[in-house]
Amino acid sequence: MELNQSQDHSRSVSSITLNRSMLKQSQYTLSLLNEGQRAGLISSQEAYRIQVEIMQVLQYLIREYTKGESTSVSSDTAQGILTSLLYALDAYTLQFTEPEDAITHLGVETVKNIHSKGIELLQQYFEEAKQLYQTIKILRLDVPVDAYNMTIDESLPVFMNNYDIVFEGQNTMASIDYPLAVDDMKLQGVFYMKQYVKRFLLETKFCRFFLHQDVLFVLKNFGKKMRFNYSIELFNIFELILNNAVFSVLSGGSANQIRISDVQYNELDQLFMSSDPDKRSKLIHKAVEQIQEELDIDQELIAYIHLYRDELIQRVNISAEIASFDKLIIKEEEEREKSIVFMLHEHDRMNDMKMRELVDRIMKSDTKADKVSLIREHVVSLHDYLDLLNSECLYGDEYDSLFAAFWDIELAVFSKIVFYEELRGDTRAFLEIVADGTEAREEWDTRFVEFMQQLDEERIEAIGHLIYDIDYEEISFY
Amino acid sequence: MDFSRLINAIQLSPQSNTVKELLVLNEKTKEYGLVLTPNDVTTMITFRNKVLHDYARVELSNEVLKELIEVYAASPYMDPNHYVETLNDLQEIFYYLRNETEDKISDIKLIDQIMTFFNGPCAGSVELVRSEMEQMAENFRGDLIRGNSSFERDDKTWN
Repeated sequence: MELNQSQDHSRSVSSITLNRSMLKQSQYTLSLLNEGQRAGLISSQEAYRIQVEIMQVLQYLIREYTKGESTSVSSDTAQGILTSLLYALDAYTLQFTEPEDAITHLGVETVKNIHSKGIELLQQYFEEAKQLYQTIKILRLDVPVDAYNMTIDESLPVFMNNYDIVFEGQNTMASIDYPLAVDDMKLQGVFYMKQYVKRFLLETKFCRFFLHQDVLFVLKNFGKKMRFNYSIELFNIFELILNNAVFSVLSGGSANQIRISDVQYNELDQLFMSSDPDKRSKLIHKAVEQIQEELDIDQELIAYIHLYRDELIQRVNISAEIASFDKLIIKEEEEREKSIVFMLHEHDRMNDMKMRELVDRIMKSDTKADKVSLIREHVVSLHDYLDLLNSECLYGDEYDSLFAAFWDIELAVFSKIVFYEELRGDTRAFLEIVADGTEAREEWDTRFVEFMQQLDEERIEAIGHLIYDIDYEEISFY
Repeated sequence: MDFSRLINAIQLSPQSNTVKELLVLNEKTKEYGLVLTPNDVTTMITFRNKVLHDYARVELSNEVLKELIEVYAASPYMDPNHYVETLNDLQEIFYYLRNETEDKISDIKLIDQIMTFFNGPCAGSVELVRSEMEQMAENFRGDLIRGNSSFERDDKTWN
């Protein structure tokens, strides 16, 4: 439901002027009626007739809604049905490029007819959205990004299976996590979803121009740079890939190359720092053109890339202002040699029964030392540790005794979980993060933070170093 | 926007046929001595709109009021001296019940239940009907929580 206000501010029809700025994207038909009356394109009698007919259609819809069993509904229900009715009318009136043509149709057609035609259009858009979704399922990227995958597997099907055109046309139904590079959140219902799946597909198609391992390379290094587990974070893949393609072109690489080397990074740094905003903008425009040509991108995708281009220019300018491009240009992050054997084996989980038995034994143990040795003897998996700590089978300083028995690498793993938000993209040193603490959710988190805070600085720093030796991919949080 | 008030008020507008449609029913009810004046009808619709507003409901037709007029006329306890007053009470009980039963029962069934008590054990007392209906609504809600509605189980009885 896109309203074109980019044309003349007002337009003459015969001697009558319609002010387009008075037309609203939401409840467009009502704003047309108001503006049409003001401008004299529609008489007050006609406007009244239309309003009465809207109420008649509403009455009919309420009957349909209650399956003829009742003539009344709650105000909330009626309001929802009226909004859906107006949404269908908008679907019809918005198809006219000129609002004056829409007003003409409102004047000569019955609301019942307009509503039926609006419903037909919504049905058509819904079918188109479903078709786009089917193509997404075929072309989807094989990437371990939960939001991307869950949007395809869970959120979009909710809409595709439950969208109610007649009674809840305006309802977008699904809660979608995956953020698009360019999204118009003002749209509602099938207009929003059609736009969403269309853009989602365009973004996916763009990413498919690149080698799968290169896409994974960018994602992995993005996660490392941001110090978070990219699999569970909300970010847009297309932006990262397009950005790196632009940076590749600007540093002498080809358009289909998204791995940025240190040399390229330094060249880009010099290039952007020696340019003013205008020059940077021109450089990015030119790079985007080169990408279009080299990759032979179709017009629809080009138009979408152009929608995003200004955002990229702005980000480059902001990075230039702070003289730091390291979070924008994703290059290979150094691999540090990992000399320590991971102590918390992920796959050696015990079954539920064994876990319950262990919890019982721990709770029946008399001394802290017994409890700790039971745990250290039987628990080897991180998941089991988390289950155990969440089961609250320890009390007070028993937690301290357990944490005191941990190796530094184990404390580092737990720190990575407990201080996840703080470590995520935070520039503070680990020592500072520990001192400031975190918002604990469970008793064991609180105890863990307190335990860490009483360690000497040298040991905290040592644990902090170990944290950067752990890949988030090594820790499955589920 | 007070949606309930706005929608319900439409039926009182000069262009509305509501008043005329209700006055036509006098042809059927006058043999029982029950005759409504235009003023009576306006009073009843105004009262209904207030009830609808209080219960946050919207009614886009006058079918319920028409049905109540007809079933009241056929009641052994109909009383021309308290015609408008009783109809208003019955309307109030109806919409109370409609809300309390969470739109799960048809209009006809609700009216049937009200009039079964009005004509039977309550002997024309709207106060007794109201009390019975409150108890019924409570039972209904209890059944809903337990997952078995006596309404859905049996069309005729609540118990």
